[in-house]
Amino acid sequence: MADSGASQPKPSSSVKLVLLGEAAVGKSSLVMRFVNNDFQENKEPTIGAAFLTQKCNLPTRTIKFEIWDTAGQERFASLAPMYYRNAQAALVVYDITKPSSLTKAQHWVAELQRQASPGIVIALVGNKYDLASPSGGDNAEDADAAPAAEGENPEEEDSADARRVPTKTAKAYADEESLLFFETSAKTGMNVAEVFTAIANAIPETSLKGPRGVGGQTNLNRQEDARVNLTGGRAEGPKEGCAC
Amino acid sequence: METLDGTEWDLLIVGTGLPQSLLALALSRSGKKILHIDQNDYYGGPEAAFSLQEVEEWGKGLADDPSSAPFSSISITKPEQVDPDEGPSLSFSRAYSLALCPQLIYARSTLLQHLVSSKVYRQLEFLAVGSFWVYSLGADETAGSPEALTPVGGRLLRVPNGREDVFQDQVLDFKAKRALMKFLRFIADYEEQPEVWEDHRNKPFPSFLTEQFKIPASLHAPLLALTLSPAVPAQTTTDHALPRIARHLRSIGFFGAGFGSVIPKWGGMSEITQVACRASAVGGGVYVLGKGLSTTLDGSINLDHQEGETPIYKVRLKDGELITTGQIVGDPSHPRLEDPAYCRSITVVSSTLDPLFPPIAEDAPSPACAVVIFPSGTLKLDTADGEAKVPPVYISVHNSDAGECPAGQSVLYASIALKGTAGFQYLKKSVEALLLSLDVTPSPTTLLSVQYEQQSRPSMQLLASETDEPTNNSSSSSMDLAFDDSVLDQVKGLWQEIMGEDAGKFLVFEDREANMTEDDE
Ligand SMILES: Nc1nc2c(ncn2[C@@H]2O[C@H](COP(=O)(O)OP(=O)(O)O)[C@@H](O)[C@H]2O)c(=O)[nH]1
Ligand SMILES: [Mg+2]
Repeated sequence: MADSGASQPKPSSSVKLVLLGEAAVGKSSLVMRFVNNDFQENKEPTIGAAFLTQKCNLPTRTIKFEIWDTAGQERFASLAPMYYRNAQAALVVYDITKPSSLTKAQHWVAELQRQASPGIVIALVGNKYDLASPSGGDNAEDADAAPAAEGENPEEEDSADARRVPTKTAKAYADEESLLFFETSAKTGMNVAEVFTAIANAIPETSLKGPRGVGGQTNLNRQEDARVNLTGGRAEGPKEGCAC
Repeated sequence: METLDGTEWDLLIVGTGLPQSLLALALSRSGKKILHIDQNDYYGGPEAAFSLQEVEEWGKGLADDPSSAPFSSISITKPEQVDPDEGPSLSFSRAYSLALCPQLIYARSTLLQHLVSSKVYRQLEFLAVGSFWVYSLGADETAGSPEALTPVGGRLLRVPNGREDVFQDQVLDFKAKRALMKFLRFIADYEEQPEVWEDHRNKPFPSFLTEQFKIPASLHAPLLALTLSPAVPAQTTTDHALPRIARHLRSIGFFGAGFGSVIPKWGGMSEITQVACRASAVGGGVYVLGKGLSTTLDGSINLDHQEGETPIYKVRLKDGELITTGQIVGDPSHPRLEDPAYCRSITVVSSTLDPLFPPIAEDAPSPACAVVIFPSGTLKLDTADGEAKVPPVYISVHNSDAGECPAGQSVLYASIALKGTAGFQYLKKSVEALLLSLDVTPSPTTLLSVQYEQQSRPSMQLLASETDEPTNNSSSSSMDLAFDDSVLDQVKGLWQEIMGEDAGKFLVFEDREANMTEDDE
């Protein structure tokens, strides 16, 4: 896993990562797999996680992801600008068994290009790879990446390949838009850590800064010293200001 | 697209303005099934913030639909650029987040306490409001003198930040200083001294200053400025002014030396509405933008029917979808004629306006906002008469630290409690006078100016509740220069009404994220 402990203190930076994609493609499941190495079948839509954090140890530095989940606000396209603000990375997820979800993903990529910081690292992720039959991929590389043949898709009556989005279609699009591209399974864990590691590696060193409070906005300029700490207020301030 | 009509909601909240969003936040752990909609395709309602493109769409929308209260008479001007390669110009659309509600929040406001206790402050950033400035025509000002027509003659005087500042002031003479010090000592605990001001309660504040404290008329302006009162001095009563001046002075030093109020970064109160709605969504609230309630011709909502002991309402959205819900919260549909209207303007200029932002104090955060007040009567229109009745103009100047414009530019938010052409002319004149009074090179050019009228409206309430009588009568106060804590009182009242007995503590929550604190900060 990406989170294998490092003994040497390395430079550590926080990265705000946002999730995007149609409802039910497995965004929350991917995060669950990455953060807790856990998967729950048929879980209720996520309630209760505003963001999760997980470290990713690279050879020369540690990236601490602050992962923002959509809180269901993707369902009716009601994500607020504050969601995208200062995001340094985005996971745009679709479901390989559902072509419309790739179309949706393309909309999200466009939305990110419109709303997010120019330097944002975007990974396009085709999830639910476990529902594809090992040979169902449409090219050779696919077979290499296939997981062990465990967890065959029981819900597919004919046990046939449920894949409806060919790898090369999505890959071609990702290349065109210069996106990272992976097919994953939150269910088996395949490629999940790899996605995050690839993102961590792709974040330009120059846009990194030190650790900071979770959920705080990233900003890379002098404004840090302009911030007012709301928890630093005096319980009993003077009745009148100034040192009189 | 998913649909909404298969669900029986406990509560439908209509509108994502600040009060509604805070209510949604307050209910975010209640377990209630909440549907939160807004007819606009953006968050914040009258507290929204816009990119350049959005502000144009907003303006166009208002122009197309004149009934789109509370805003009207909008115009957007971008001065023609003679040579686009030369001189400053607007940046890209998203580099801006222009606030419809750029309020400052005093350090002791209950809003800040509640943002902290509900943990949403973690997703917000606050910046310091630095100096307050009063525009002054100088010592020889005589009301109505023809020279005063030109704004060039005025200058900005910094309002002292408390007793120490007054004491060190080089300009004030000894007598004036003593009078002012006496007043500042009084205001520190004016509640304990009713005998001093009781008789003046409903009388104009300036006469109170003269009669009780012998404060010279020339010092009334800075004190009036601190009240942030939209009214002319003669209509600013002592019992209105005292708590507001006290609020200002008592807040100084609370979060750090030398400043007493803050602004949210990235577009004013809009940011708070977005963060509050997200917290509600995390708690299971469902959010739909771009969908409003369908209303009948007279503006009341279309209640299809109501059945059973606990009422179930069926209301239609504009697109025809039928919503089933136990309760509905929203803005009352009828604007009240007696509610005041303001003229407001947003001006983007090509300068950092540094002289307005001197460092606050050692160790204090650098200021992102300055407030400039044009007292009643300091500006004259060539055409108008009766200037003494002209209300003061307030301008909140935000530098680029506020996240509302790119570096090298500033945003000026001006307002006056006056409607119509005259109001807009005073705003324009004030902004010009402000820019002229500053010694900055190159001199600032205006890159964008937006002006509009805003009508105050009755604030949110339970619609179609059993009692059917309005829950409250107060007006939405998004037009105040500073956040008014009474907004939270209304939210709390509604929250209590909705929650009943087992309400618990208002806006006090634990962090949800188990894994986030271990190694942070
Ligand atoms: N077979 C399979 N099911 C998955 C996978 N990832 C998620 N799911 C299921 O898809 C549904 C939606 O997942 P969720 O994470 O809530 O999607 P979200 O709405 O995008 O956050 C749930 O029932 C998950 O159990 C996967 O990789 N394989
Ligand atoms: Mg989810």
